[in-house]
Amino acid sequence: MRRVLVSIATLTLFAMPASAQTVDEIISHYIKTIGGMEKIQAVSTLRRRGKFTGGGGFEAVVLQENKRGRSVREEFSLQGMTGIDAYDGKTGWKIEPWNGKKDPESLGEEEMKSILEDSDFDGPLVNYKQKGNKVEFVGMDQFEGTDTFKLKVTIANGDVYFYYLDTDYYVPIKIDTKRLIRGAEREYETALGDYKEVAGWYLPHSIETNTKGSQDKSKVVYDKIEANAPIDDGRFRVPVVAK
Amino acid sequence: MKINSMGCFAALALGLIFTSTASAQTPSVKVDSETISGLGARNIGSATMSGRVAAIDAVQEGQRLTVYIGAASGGVWKSVNGGSTFKPVFDKQPVQSIGAITIDPKNPKTIWVGTGESWMRNSVSIGDGVYKSTDGGENWTNMGLKESEHITKILVDPTSTNTVYVCAPGKLWSDSDERGLYKTTDGGNSWTKILKGPNASTGCGMISMDRQNPQTIYASMWDFRRKGWTFRSGGDSPQAFSGSGFFKSTNGGATWTELDEKSAKGLPAKPWGRIAVTVAPSKPNVVYAFIEAEQPQNGLYRSDDNGKTWTALDRSQNMLWRPFYFANLIVDPKDENKIYKPDGPLIASNDGGQSFSNISGGAHGDFHDVWIDPNNTDHLITGDDGGVWYSYDGGNRWWKAENLPISQFYHVSVDMDMPYHVYGGLQDNSSWVGDSQFPGGITNDRWENMYGGDGFWMFADPSDPDYLYAESQGGYIGRVNRKTHETRGIQPLPQYKEGKLRFNWNTPIHISPTQDGTIYLGGQFLFRSRDHGQTWDRISPDLTTNDPEKQKQEQSGGVGVDNSSAEMHTTIFSICESPKNPNLIWAGTDDGNLQITRDGGKTWKNVVGNIKGLPKNAWVTSIDAGHFDEGTAYATFDLHTFGDMRPYVYKTSDYGQTWMPLISPGGAAAVKPVRGYAHVVKEDLVNKDLLFVGTELGLWVSLDGGKQWAQYTGGNLPQVAVRDLAIHPRDRDLVIATHGRGIWIIDDITPLRLLTAETLRKEAAFIEARPTVQRLPAGGGWVNGDASFTGDNPTDEAVITYYQQKRHIFGDLKIEVLDQDGKLLSTVPSSKRRGLNRATWSMRLKAPRVPTAASAAFSASTGPRVLPGTYTVRMIKDKNVYTTQLQVVADPRSKHTPEDRKAQFDLAMTLYNLLGDMTFAVDRINGVRLELEARAAELPANDPLAKRLRAAAAHVDELRRKIVATKEGGAITGEERLRENLADLYGSVTGYEGRPAQTQFERSDAIARELGDVVKDFDAWLTKEMPGINSGLSAKKLPPITALTRAEWEKISSQRGSTPRDSPARERDQQ
Repeated sequence: MRRVLVSIATLTLFAMPASAQTVDEIISHYIKTIGGMEKIQAVSTLRRRGKFTGGGGFEAVVLQENKRGRSVREEFSLQGMTGIDAYDGKTGWKIEPWNGKKDPESLGEEEMKSILEDSDFDGPLVNYKQKGNKVEFVGMDQFEGTDTFKLKVTIANGDVYFYYLDTDYYVPIKIDTKRLIRGAEREYETALGDYKEVAGWYLPHSIETNTKGSQDKSKVVYDKIEANAPIDDGRFRVPVVAK
Repeated sequence: MKINSMGCFAALALGLIFTSTASAQTPSVKVDSETISGLGARNIGSATMSGRVAAIDAVQEGQRLTVYIGAASGGVWKSVNGGSTFKPVFDKQPVQSIGAITIDPKNPKTIWVGTGESWMRNSVSIGDGVYKSTDGGENWTNMGLKESEHITKILVDPTSTNTVYVCAPGKLWSDSDERGLYKTTDGGNSWTKILKGPNASTGCGMISMDRQNPQTIYASMWDFRRKGWTFRSGGDSPQAFSGSGFFKSTNGGATWTELDEKSAKGLPAKPWGRIAVTVAPSKPNVVYAFIEAEQPQNGLYRSDDNGKTWTALDRSQNMLWRPFYFANLIVDPKDENKIYKPDGPLIASNDGGQSFSNISGGAHGDFHDVWIDPNNTDHLITGDDGGVWYSYDGGNRWWKAENLPISQFYHVSVDMDMPYHVYGGLQDNSSWVGDSQFPGGITNDRWENMYGGDGFWMFADPSDPDYLYAESQGGYIGRVNRKTHETRGIQPLPQYKEGKLRFNWNTPIHISPTQDGTIYLGGQFLFRSRDHGQTWDRISPDLTTNDPEKQKQEQSGGVGVDNSSAEMHTTIFSICESPKNPNLIWAGTDDGNLQITRDGGKTWKNVVGNIKGLPKNAWVTSIDAGHFDEGTAYATFDLHTFGDMRPYVYKTSDYGQTWMPLISPGGAAAVKPVRGYAHVVKEDLVNKDLLFVGTELGLWVSLDGGKQWAQYTGGNLPQVAVRDLAIHPRDRDLVIATHGRGIWIIDDITPLRLLTAETLRKEAAFIEARPTVQRLPAGGGWVNGDASFTGDNPTDEAVITYYQQKRHIFGDLKIEVLDQDGKLLSTVPSSKRRGLNRATWSMRLKAPRVPTAASAAFSASTGPRVLPGTYTVRMIKDKNVYTTQLQVVADPRSKHTPEDRKAQFDLAMTLYNLLGDMTFAVDRINGVRLELEARAAELPANDPLAKRLRAAAAHVDELRRKIVATKEGGAITGEERLRENLADLYGSVTGYEGRPAQTQFERSDAIARELGDVVKDFDAWLTKEMPGINSGLSAKKLPPITALTRAEWEKISSQRGSTPRDSPARERDQQ
């Protein structure tokens, strides 16, 4: 960890002028800050557990499991029932048990886009070229009074994120997401915080999302993120329902 | 390294920064926009009155219509669905007044915006040049012409994206060089003035292009000037001959030919004022021009030969009216004989301009622009003083846009109702009362129109809540019954041979802060009434300069006449009675006097001469008499009508003998970042160092009595004109009247009152807020579709406010709430921003444990709301722990006694616990059932024990089915068991915080008994059957089955993580 600390010190005190920053430099600093490519690559699964807080005191237990190779499973549990959205690299499916229907269904267009994004194990900036993502440095911006580098990330399906990386530490503190759904843009804002180390990798433990412009926020705080826990591939596959 | 080291390092880095900048004294703490803006702000609208729209453009993108709306003073709004929804796309820019919007014909993602409306009414705002977006409005770049202040039109050459023409009339209130017609051929990087007026008051009035031959351009030049007391559209100025004229170029502006009486047969004789011109898109030899000329030559002219000769056509009233406000012509893209003229009404001709009909229908009026769908010319979009309107039948009927909260308030006040109402008048949109909050949101219909005309000051009558005061332009004050709307005009009238009393367009009404029932009204005299306007006392002589040169409004207009009272001058413009002394009254005038009386109006003293550095004749736009010291007052001064757009704010502490600049040009004040001419200053009601200033370009806050100022942008409040402010004395809200974006509210400014320099130097600290009111649980509103604006309510949750010097990025930032016994009630998500933060706590206990069944019981998905009382809040930031107290109080509107509320909470908790008992019972039964089935599965199918186990499981399951609904499949089964009944009862008891009904108490008991019966049956069955079953299992060397104990269940239940299992019993066995 000393290496990370030193690198952060260097970045903070000798940060280059913004004009000299390139996308690769910014992303390279980011990767160094969060632990380095080696540490990231050494992680093959992530299991995040936490709490969802909506409005009016509504809370639920959430779980997200990711496995390299674009597998992801997201659970939302309430009253002993668990809603699931999952993707095994090929098929996206869900179970919405809330009204008594407990067999798997296909994900809708927007849900599918969302889970595809979530299936990107280490986020769209890491190895962005290999992933077919296009990243542009838009310029300096502020998020809630903190100076940021603003990166435009266009992923393979054409959806766009704007990443706002804090200029002291080069970690994303905000992401704007634009998804094209039925030809119309859906815009979301996500604030990231509480970065903590998991197997040498600094990951955000606090995530707040809202439809752009709305004051209604969905807040997730992870109390535990495990790295490299064994996760069976079957967790990501569509369950077979006996007929 | 642990993450906490990161925090230490951050502190180190910060220390270094401080060292480099701090002087030898205690380092001063920078207070910037983001230090204070974390309190947020909410826009309550409304879109029902909406506001003036200056420009429209639209383009078909695929099958869908993208629409851009340029609000006169409320930014740019974009719709990608033909108007169903809009989003503001210009909010980050430093000005919000829009004059022109043009979409590049070749590239629909390239948008040009000219800032500064050009419909030059008295209240028009200012811009700072031309902006360009190349990504459909997401990002904007200022491309120059920053000193133009107003822009009428932008044209993009349809054959060359980088060739753009900008028609800039230039400054309204002063001479300037940056005006005329500009051209760029490099996409806006450089500009050439290709048509220039002969003097410093002439700029471009309108342009039009032959789109089939874009080298051909027609342009009008307009010589104009507005002053506080007069307006001149065209004609000669005192210094120079008129520059108004009409020009044509056939080489992209390289050379010009003037079209006038001599060169173009049929045109009228000069002098001219403003000229609108447009080329028929489908037949460009046809050109129309409306020319403001002397009667009877003013009117519409048409040329059928590319401008060589002209024929005079329509000169109906609505063609001629107010050219400075209406100088736009739009020809149908397919039919050169179909022409629209926005004016008071929208008028249209189908006969090539011979005659026009009023097609305004049910729209508001005072139109400014029309967009015609080139693919379906029956589809029109128009903008007027009341917003945007759509027609699908060529203008026969209009559909209102209900989603543009661009309302232009002049003033705002509040009442003491609970929740309070907001009062205010708007440009051409009357005077309204709206809710500050309402269950379900503040929809458009939560605003009620109470008067007429243009609206300005408006107040509830503190002496009679059934009445309010409102006014229209020129001091037409009325007293209105809020229920019946019966209105009595109470304006003071002239006395014998007195001539006209002079009332400003925006006449000040002031409500005495010390004497209910006393109101003031300012003409040239100060009037006071103590009987609701039945009688008025003149309590001053003429307080103005009474300069006769500024009283010639009948000569106002220029080539034509326009005397609407908008130029009425030498009037009182601001009034303030001291809250400390009813005999101390301040009055400011629009011509630069600042008067004070300390004897209730017997004698007056003009103290403006004591203000060093203030130019003469400034409008005294607001006065705020000190709330702490009688001799203190604050005043804003506005010189924008002399071309000076800078803010001037001064303070006196000695009744006006001496004045200290808080904001003024030059000197130390120059480093203060306040922009825009000043409209209003308010001293806080509690902390005399907390000051608010509204200018034409935003809201500014000082925490230190005016030494430092920071712009407030919380809640995405744009840099829009802030015309007035009201501090709610009870609720501590700051209510912001914007002229262009409606009313905004900063809920609870207590943290600003308490944000001391000492706190600002801390790494983090809690800041006290007002006691949290548990607002009555209530629902309201209804589905309105996506095309309607709804203003936000304040949060229903308890607000926890804290400050941090730096954004929190690494490590935990946790906020916990504890009850009076120190028991942890909740951990709530924290806000991470630099400066002030707000986190919220729902005030609810964790949701009850609910038995798993066929469907979720959403009525039991949240916990009961805690009782009013004092709670402890603990913030854990890295290693540091901070604590504070949170006061939770009942809604003052509640009719429930504390005993009622306690009874409700107790019953809710009984049901809450009963749900827990029921969950235990179901888990216990289920555990046994699943174990029975599991053991059976380990035996051969025909084994008698296996059969017995399966039969037992089925029996046990019958018991379970008495408690919970089990029919699955997603249909509406209507199946209700004890669990469904109990969850519904819980939902109804927690949803109403008064004494529960007797039937609810009884139902609670009944369900408890019925549950008890099932449990008894299960226990009896266990006693009777399990020994035999376990013997059988033992014989087969299978483990025995034991039912879960409560202690075991509690343990597992509390440990349940994010993957609940079917069987807690199995979880137990696996531990």
